Amino acid sequence: MHRDEDEPSAVGRATPSGVTFPVRAGEAVLLLGPSGCGKSTLALTTNGLVPHVVGAELTGTVEVGGRDTRAHRVPELARDVAMVFQDPDAQVVTATVLDEVCFGPENLRLPAAEVLARAEEALRRVGLWDRRDDDPDGLSGGGRQRLAIACALAMRAPLLVLDEPTANLDPAGVEEVYAVLREIVAAGDRGILLVEHSLDTAIELVDRVVVLDRSGRVVLDGPARETLGRHCDLLLELGVWLPVSALAALRLRAAGVPMEPLPLTPAELAVALDARPELPAPAVRALRPPPGDPVLVVDRLTVERGGRTVLHDVSLRVGRGELIAVVGANGAGKTTLVQAAAGVVRPPRGTVTVMGLDPARAGARELASRIGFVFQNPEHQFVAGRVDDELALGLRLRGVPEDEVAARVEEVLARFGLGESRGLHPFLLSGGQKRRLSVGTAVIVRPEVLVLDEPTFGQDRERATELLDLLTGLHAEGTTVIVVSHDMQLVAEHATRVVALADGRIAADGPPAEVFAADLPGLRPPPVARATRALARHPGWRAVTRLADLPAAAPVCAS
Amino acid sequence: MSLLDLRTYNPLSKLFGTLPLMVLVIGTRDLRTPAVVGGAALLLILTGARPTGRTVAWLLLGVPAALAVMTVSFGVWTDPARVSGTRLLVSVGGFELWSRALETGLATGLRLVAVMLLALVGGLTTTGPDLVRSMIRQLRVPYRIGYSALAAFRFVPRFRHELDVIRSAHRVRGLAGGGGPISGLRRYGGYAVPLLAGGIRHAERVSLAMESRAFGAHPTRTERYVVPFRVRDAILVSALWCFTLGVFA
Repeated sequence: MHRDEDEPSAVGRATPSGVTFPVRAGEAVLLLGPSGCGKSTLALTTNGLVPHVVGAELTGTVEVGGRDTRAHRVPELARDVAMVFQDPDAQVVTATVLDEVCFGPENLRLPAAEVLARAEEALRRVGLWDRRDDDPDGLSGGGRQRLAIACALAMRAPLLVLDEPTANLDPAGVEEVYAVLREIVAAGDRGILLVEHSLDTAIELVDRVVVLDRSGRVVLDGPARETLGRHCDLLLELGVWLPVSALAALRLRAAGVPMEPLPLTPAELAVALDARPELPAPAVRALRPPPGDPVLVVDRLTVERGGRTVLHDVSLRVGRGELIAVVGANGAGKTTLVQAAAGVVRPPRGTVTVMGLDPARAGARELASRIGFVFQNPEHQFVAGRVDDELALGLRLRGVPEDEVAARVEEVLARFGLGESRGLHPFLLSGGQKRRLSVGTAVIVRPEVLVLDEPTFGQDRERATELLDLLTGLHAEGTTVIVVSHDMQLVAEHATRVVALADGRIAADGPPAEVFAADLPGLRPPPVARATRALARHPGWRAVTRLADLPAAAPVCAS
Repeated sequence: MSLLDLRTYNPLSKLFGTLPLMVLVIGTRDLRTPAVVGGAALLLILTGARPTGRTVAWLLLGVPAALAVMTVSFGVWTDPARVSGTRLLVSVGGFELWSRALETGLATGLRLVAVMLLALVGGLTTTGPDLVRSMIRQLRVPYRIGYSALAAFRFVPRFRHELDVIRSAHRVRGLAGGGGPISGLRRYGGYAVPLLAGGIRHAERVSLAMESRAFGAHPTRTERYVVPFRVRDAILVSALWCFTLGVFA
């Protein structure tokens, strides 16, 4: 089975463009490229969703199992290509796990006995056979994505295409999905095409990488390890994210520590570091000023919902000028904690104080001038028809004079790079712009504390980093920032303090290095920490968790 | 599989068996007919639907309570001019409750309760997927329509959750003020845009996922659960229709 050349076009620009490459049976191919290069579009061409369902122009051909995708409808191609999408919620059709897996084979008009046999085999492979009678909604995010994989396996198609299958999952879910994928790759009975931006786990899985550049052309195509190792400069230049371990190694190389071959995983990085008899001392961390007087105090907060205790007796003091990351598995109570702290959900009286104000009694506007809250999905917060009106709204509601409103809107538009889109409807912005606008609407009323609920969820690294840089900027100017996040490396790089929740209680609270060293269940440390904690020869390096801790004067991989 | 268990009957037999009763009972004006029909439906539910203790409690407490509330409120609503000459029962402020008006209220309440109970006969003993399956099999509804409808059912809880989130998001923006009907309407208008945008995107994704799993590849698909229309279903429909004739003829 192989594929050939193709390309659909968006407005004016064709991405991907002039792509030719085959995927063979038993091979796992990772498709890489910077944001907007058309990776997902390319994935959608494999079963004809492009151009049959998603409007686009396709020149060239995509062939699966010898059939041209343009000559066959999507459901007909399902025998040859099975697909797993990013959003686990948007792939569920029926009411039980078993029915869900049977849905595809039933559509193929297979006899009922065969349908059941396939469903059982697929569910056993992803470890969900025991939960076959459950409602898919009762599974965790990782569980639902494993179910989506089982559904794809049950089609018994020779090619499995996965389009960012872990982007919407928490770290535990990512692990679950990769454990399943590892077994599928090991079985070697299918060709796999994977689009993924979190390379740290994906790289162990694949045999081959195909790299697209910004204009959607293939620039590299070869064995995973060699291609990444040999062409790291080119990849960085293209804006492709390398595994964090590789970035760390490049930084070490620049500091004069030889790293050959380039380590790609935390385990390899640890081995490479331990192989050196000597290492330069880690970079000295700039001393942060101690946190100021408390701006947010949570005192023995207990929250119950639907007869279940979501938060048990949580106490927390947040000092002025901290950048706190709240981490933990899904269902640990992170969102409940920050929502109660910001008064989005009214906490019990006397349990929360925001700069002397109790959210249980305060009015929404009064509260929002002290503590701003940014929801996970920016669209939920938009209420106006234009970007500039959206920003002005909070000020106008507070009766700020119109000339000052205009000045502050200009300032925020410029700072957040939204000046050119000021007249657009907020819903027409790109994903990254929407995210920046939602932060802008909270920041414009100049709150002392800014709270963000999983702002990097479902976004690629480029956007996530852009956002975290923005928050770091606000933080440097004196805003206290609290951010809920699953991205441990981002947390390690930016946060001054990490609060880890588990089952509604605070499991750890301290500087990132300390919290990640504590080895909490369900909390997977970032790649750099995973590499350094295992070092035998260099005890002084075990506290290194950030790229910024590595000894390097020059910027990463001078290109 | 007991003959007395309504859950084992074809969903269509329950639907078509009770349909004439529902239509006819709406047209009644007296007290006796809706009371008989409602009572029969209640009996059918209690014996044939194998309801849980909770459902039984809801039915036995909720039905009389709803009936009482409807009787009084419809009674108060009834035009006093049409019931003059009967006994004045209560007079509070400007409201007057006449005995004849109360009777009208009771009749209206009984009709609504009877229709509701008849709907529950099928509703409490049928699952959505079974109804869809029998509609595809016996009524020859195209499976693409049936299964798309089933998939859409799953959107409901998602929408509810999303609406809650949007509401609190708007409250955080400071849009809580104004309890009047106009500002309330405007507020709901504001929820509609993000809700629809999210809903359309979700529906698109679901449809991509369904097509990728061969939905619509063939004119028919395998049904693992066959929902048959047996002799007992025909008998149930006939019995219900005979009962209808007996009550209304």
